[in-house]
Order: sequence, then C-alpha cells, then structure tokens
Amino acid sequence: MILVGELSLWIALLMAAWTTTVSFAGGMQGRPDLIKSGERAMYATFGFVLLASIGLWTALFTHDFSLKFVASFTSANLPKVYLFTAFWAGQEGSLLFWALIMTMYAAIAVFTNRNRNREMMPYVTGTLGVVALFFLMTMAFAENPFERLDWVPPDGRGMNPQLQNPGMAAHPPMLYLGYVGTAIPFAFAVGALVTRQLDAQWLGAVRRWALVSWFFLTIGITLGMWWAYVELGWAGYWAWDAVENSSFLPWLTVTAFLHSIMIQEKRGMLRKWNVTLVVLSFLLTILGTFITRSGVIESVHAFARSPIGNWFLGFLVVATVLTAYLVSTRLNDLQAKAELESMVSREAAFLYNNLVLVGICFATLWGTLFPILSEWVKGDKITVGPPFFNAVNGPLGLLLLALTGIGPLIAWRRASIANLQRQFTAPLVAGVVVFVTLFALGMRDVYALASYLLAGFVFGTIIQEFVKGVGARRRMYSEGFFAAFFRLIGRNRRRYGGYIVHFGVVVLFCAFAGLMFKRDVTATLKTGESVKATDAYGHEWVFTSQGISQDKQLNRFVTAVTFAVTRDGQNMGLLSSEKRQHVNSRNEPTFEPSTEVGILESPKQDVYLVFTGAVDRDTAAVHINFNPLVWWVWFGGIIMAFGGLIVMWPQATKGEREGGYVAQIPMGRDMEPVGAGA
Amino acid sequence: MSFDRNPITNQRAQSRRAFVMRAGAVVGGLGLLVRRAGAQEQQASSTNGGEEMTSDSYKPVSRPPKPGATPSMSKVELETFERQLACPCPCTLDIYTCRTTDFSCGISPAVHGDIQRLVDGGYTATEIMEALTGTYGDFILNSPRKEGFSLAAWFAPFAAVAVGAVGIGAMLRSWRLNAKTADAARAARAAAQPANAPSVDATPEELARLEAALRENR
Repeated sequence: MILVGELSLWIALLMAAWTTTVSFAGGMQGRPDLIKSGERAMYATFGFVLLASIGLWTALFTHDFSLKFVASFTSANLPKVYLFTAFWAGQEGSLLFWALIMTMYAAIAVFTNRNRNREMMPYVTGTLGVVALFFLMTMAFAENPFERLDWVPPDGRGMNPQLQNPGMAAHPPMLYLGYVGTAIPFAFAVGALVTRQLDAQWLGAVRRWALVSWFFLTIGITLGMWWAYVELGWAGYWAWDAVENSSFLPWLTVTAFLHSIMIQEKRGMLRKWNVTLVVLSFLLTILGTFITRSGVIESVHAFARSPIGNWFLGFLVVATVLTAYLVSTRLNDLQAKAELESMVSREAAFLYNNLVLVGICFATLWGTLFPILSEWVKGDKITVGPPFFNAVNGPLGLLLLALTGIGPLIAWRRASIANLQRQFTAPLVAGVVVFVTLFALGMRDVYALASYLLAGFVFGTIIQEFVKGVGARRRMYSEGFFAAFFRLIGRNRRRYGGYIVHFGVVVLFCAFAGLMFKRDVTATLKTGESVKATDAYGHEWVFTSQGISQDKQLNRFVTAVTFAVTRDGQNMGLLSSEKRQHVNSRNEPTFEPSTEVGILESPKQDVYLVFTGAVDRDTAAVHINFNPLVWWVWFGGIIMAFGGLIVMWPQATKGEREGGYVAQIPMGRDMEPVGAGA
Repeated sequence: MSFDRNPITNQRAQSRRAFVMRAGAVVGGLGLLVRRAGAQEQQASSTNGGEEMTSDSYKPVSRPPKPGATPSMSKVELETFERQLACPCPCTLDIYTCRTTDFSCGISPAVHGDIQRLVDGGYTATEIMEALTGTYGDFILNSPRKEGFSLAAWFAPFAAVAVGAVGIGAMLRSWRLNAKTADAARAARAAAQPANAPSVDATPEELARLEAALRENR
C-alpha cells in the first residue's frame, strides 16, 4: 500500500498537469471533449492524492521507519490517535494533507458546477489544477513524504510532545480546510475574469465557498488559541506569532469580502474591490504558507527551515502578477452599476468596515514582515512583538467593534435623522449603562472600559434587531415567542445568522478585555508550604503544596506537583501540573521535558498553574495565573462558528420563503425590508 | 477491448491523442526543468549546511556593582521591565513570560540572571536597557523603537488606514456629486414634461428607442 501511495503521488502529479493543460486548452478552443477530460482528470487527481494519503497513513500505522517522514515524527510507542495526526505533524505530510483537501474541494467544486457556470468552468478547473499541480510538485521534487532512509532505524524520533494534544488533532485540519477553501473563490475569480462574466453569477458560486473558508478558519483559529493556551504554558492564547498571524490575515480579508459582497448583490457596487478581496485572500494564504515553511521568520509554530519557501515565493509572485494583469485588463467590466447616495448608509458603513478589516490585515502583515524589512534596510534585526500589535490593532479592533453595531442599524441607500434616532437610542443607552456600571464598580482601565461600552452597544443592536423581528412575526402570525424566534432565524438565515456571528464577536471582545485584569504569582514551595494570592475580583486564594510525585504513563515519565486550593477559605479541590519527559520504545528520552499545565476553569476566570521546575525531590517552582474570562474566548469562537453555520445552511425552499417574513413588512422611505440580508 | 467506429468521435480521439503528445512533451520538459532547479536548490541548501541564526544565543551582560549599591527595582518593577524585552530564543515571548513557562529555554533565565545582578548592582532601568541593547542590539526590545526607521513600523498602519479613509471619502464625494447631477437632470426632465404626462425615468434617446421598438412590434 505504501508503494501504491508513492506511485499514486506521481500519477496525481501527471493528472493535475493534464487537468490544467486540457482545461485551459478546452476553454480557449471551445472543445467540450477537452473540458470534460479536464474535469474527469480533476476527480482522478483527487482519487490518486487520496490513495497517496492512505499510503502514508498505512506507513505511519505500520511503523515503517524506512520512510524518513515516519522515522522523524513517530515512534513505536506513540498512541494510535497521534499516529493518525502525525500525518500533518511535519512538512512533507502537511503538504500532502493540503493537496488532499485542495483536490477534494476542487472535485466538489467541479461536480457541483457540472451543469452551471459552464463558460467559466474550464478556467476554474484549470486554475484549481494549477494550484494542485504546484503542491504536488513541491512534494514530488522537494519534500517527498515517501522519501526513504538509507538504513532503517529501530525506532523513530517520536512526536514533539506539544503536538501530542487533542487540540492538534483538530486544529490543523480545520485551519487547512479554511486556508485551502480560499483557493476555490480564487479559481472562480480567475474564471470570471478570463471569461469576463463578472456579474452576480460568479458571486453566487463564490459566496458559499468563501463562507466555508471563513467557517473553518474561525474554528481553526479558535482551536489554535485553545491549544496554545492549554499546551504552551505561557497563560495566553494569542502571541501575535508569525504563524498565528498567517492564519489571521486571510480570515480578515474573507470577513471583509463576506460584508462587501452584500453591497454588490444589492446595489451592483464594489465589483473591483470584491474581486481584489477574493484574490488577496488566496494570495495571503500562500504568503502565510511561505512564512510558515520558509523559516524566514522565527516562530515557535513554524516548520523546519526548508528550501520549499522559495517555491512558495515563486508561486506567490507568479500568481500575483497574473491576477494583477487579469484585474487590470478587466477594469471596464468591473464598473459599478450604481453609486453611493449618502455617507450615512449601510453601504457606506460596510465600506468603513472593510477599511478597518483591511487596515488590521495590513497592520498585522506589516508588523510580521517589518523585522525582515528592517534587517534589509538597516542591517539590524529587530523584534516586533505583542506590545506593537496590541498598540496598533487595539484601537482598530475597537473601531471595528463599533462598526459591527453601527452597520446593521443604518438603512440602505440613505438614512434619515428619524431612522438614526429610532435605531440608535436603545443600543447607545445599553452601552452607556454598561460603562457607568463598570466605572461605578471601580474599573478604570481605558481599553477595557471602551471595549465593554462598545460591547454593550453592539449587544443592544443585536437584541433590538431580534426583538423587532420577533415582535413583527408575533403580530402578523400570532406565533409564540420561541416559534417566532426560531422561524425568524430559519426564514432569514443570512441576516440573523450574521447577528449571531456579531454576538460571538462581542463575547470575544469582552473576553479579550478580561485579560487586562490578569494577575500572576511565582513561588517555590516545599511540601506543605502555601502561597497566598489575590485575584482581580478580590478573592483570596491559598495554594498548599501536596508534594511531588513521579510515575510512568504511556510514552512518558511524569513528574507532577499537586496543590490543595482554597478561595476565601472555601475548598476548591486539587490542582496539578506536570513535567513530562517523553521517551521512545526503548525508554530513551526523545525531546526536552515539556509541561502540562493545570487549569481550574470557570466562566469567571481560569486559575492556571504551571510547574516550572523541581528544585529538589520535595520542592517545586510554580507560576500561578488568574486569567479572567478566558472561557468566553472559546465560547465566543463557538458562537461565531455556529452563526456561520446558520448563514451557510441552504435557505428554505421557495414556497417557505414566500410565506415568510420578507414580503409582509410595509416599507417606508427610510426603511429596508426586514428580511433583507444583514 | 472496444473500437470506436464513429468517424466523428474517432477524429476527436485522434485529435486528443495529438494533443496528449504535444502536452506531454511540454509537461515533460517543464518537469525536467523543475527537477533540475530542485536539485540545484537542495545542493545549495546542503552547502549552507543548517547554519543557525545567531539571534538565539545567550550573550552575557555584566557591569561592576555601583559603590554602596542597593536594588534599583522592586520585584514587580523587574517583572514589568522584563516584559519589555524579547527573549532571544524563537519562542516570540518576553523574558518574564518565557522564563516562567514551559519552554525549555536556557536563555531567558540567563538574561534574567544578568538583569537581576544589574538591578542589585544599583543600575537604573535606562542603564540596564542600554547595556542590553548594547550587547544584543534592538533585537532584545519587544517592540520597535519610536524613532528613526523603526518609527515607520508604528506610523505605516495608521497612515494606510488614513489614506484609505481619505480615498473612500473622495470616492463617496464623487459618487454623491454624480447622484446629485443625476437627480438634477431627472428634476429638469420632470419639470419639462406636462403636468399630466406619465413620469418615466428615461432619457429622450431611450424614449425614442422605446417608441421605435413598440412601433416595430405593432
């Protein structure tokens, strides 16, 4: 099976080359036979990449240490679940995983469009073929997962302990599903540009794929934050690391696109901008991959330095030049069909929202690449760390939060004073009430106060929209509250799903602001000794060491320290943190010792214990953190993903829509249809 | 094995075969080129031989204690100070966070030791910072200085957003002017029409074309 996998990789490469060649040729020559052949070759490419993947998984599960990849990232005593996830633990396997998702998406896109978008599909298939071909070439000629060693070691090196975490089983696949998802809208954009079919047709094809990409990126980033928090032991979830930033950049541009696409759908505006955002999102994923895999920027997450970075750089340059050429030669076809009537309108609010999203994207990219620029200009290496990103993106993030609330409140085309007064009063009151309450309770941190004021305002807008919608349904259909609530969402998934996403954003900002009140203490304690600490809520905590224990578990030796914890004299249970020395099947240490943190989790705050080291057999050095509201980061991410799922879910059938809420609302001059997309 | 006797599909098959031959030659040539480039690249990387960057190495920073020195910072002040310094290991964390966490980093505890000795030796935060940047360069600072070229790091994002805002403002203004002109033209047309004439939003040329089309249909 391993040999079949290896051969399949080469056949997939040929298939991708065939897909690309015949699809473009078929499109240019108008040859249906070539077009069909290209589409079939795309399915075949996916099939052979799947076979290659099964081959690699077989090698991992059968411990075939003659393969360099298997010997480098697994050992005979690695738990089975991590044998499965080892597939994406290293450069070569992760490239194959990328190709697997890429060709799977491509096959789905080709299949679902077999009777639609026929004029542009050859170019869409051809573009997807190019991307698949590129990834297959990187494996075939540079980082082959089936590369064999000259000799067969008795055991492998094992997996990095930090990757032996459930978060790493789910985080990379989700992130890749999101990352690779940007290739499909990109391919449709290329197809639309080549065929000059730049009306609403290509947007329809692209929107759902952009949502898929956004959905998985959101889940992937949230899982990545969770993994960093529980595994890396620095009591934070986002360090503005180059690799973290690489996943954040396309998320920002896809988010901007999902907002600006509504303006094109409703008003025929921002056509150039939407194409640019789609192209930019894909190019940013390639740039991110270059950053992650080239070793050009130091990162704790990055893959080992590899010449493959040059491949990605070359691909990035070629893709940028070609798409820039395509866009620049189609500017006349991308003229707006309408123009903005007022700076106080929903269209304008979406424009401001796009400006801030792209501004944050630029600031993040700028900060990530500035060390290289500085070294290039001045010859000195500098660091651009979290204080920079927090200082720059903090204000922009608050502006974005404000726009999250403002956008849905303003009418399309032109808002009147009466409209603004009616829509803004209640949310503004909600924001001010939150602010005054927190100020009265003693909160003085400016950023936190601003965050909670705006969070209150945005939350007010969301509640107001739901109250109005549910109220209208209850009046019209005499429905009960819950029936009206669920039908309101069900009949208008895009709008109310969007509000649920906004609610998730509010929850996230509240959680981020909570970290302003983080407290920590370090201590070195013998068994029976205690350390006292006070958290941001004023609770007094006492941690009493129960001593250090040692045992062997699975593929590691574990040294643990356990504390009895009390809060204001009340018993809160035991909390342990471990030092783990991973070993291979012959009990030889494989990596440096790693730490498993102990977390006493609650919605109010996490108590986060890190065993930093054993001074002697009886004395442990620990770092204890009180992290307010961290639980809400995960909850906010889940809400956002859930909202995204509602938006993605296929809309109700035509009959249901007609009987729904949209057509029933009378329209005034400054009123928009309640059922219209948010 | 089956043979296609249909002349049309047979011709297509032959044409496709010719296409395969041509495409195969091109792809094969490209493959050879890429393979050669890959081989050269690998050769280049192996000659560089895993040379590591020097930024992840510890460099001692020491000064003799000042006469009659007392510690210049409290424990909390020292922690705050260390949060402004980037650990030279690739963890991307600050010295304080790195030395109190999981990473098996030998550098942040060593840098902390140097700082602690300088604090005990009576050196102020500014003096310690100068000593550290004198040894490590600005790489040790967790964020760029707000001076010289590094100022661009701070300035550019806000400048970009400001330029974007001005651009959007100008675009909105031009759109509004266009809308006003269109409104004025519509109003003028409406005024020129008799009071009982049906209100149609179309230019005289469009109306003439419409009339011609209607006549044709009749």
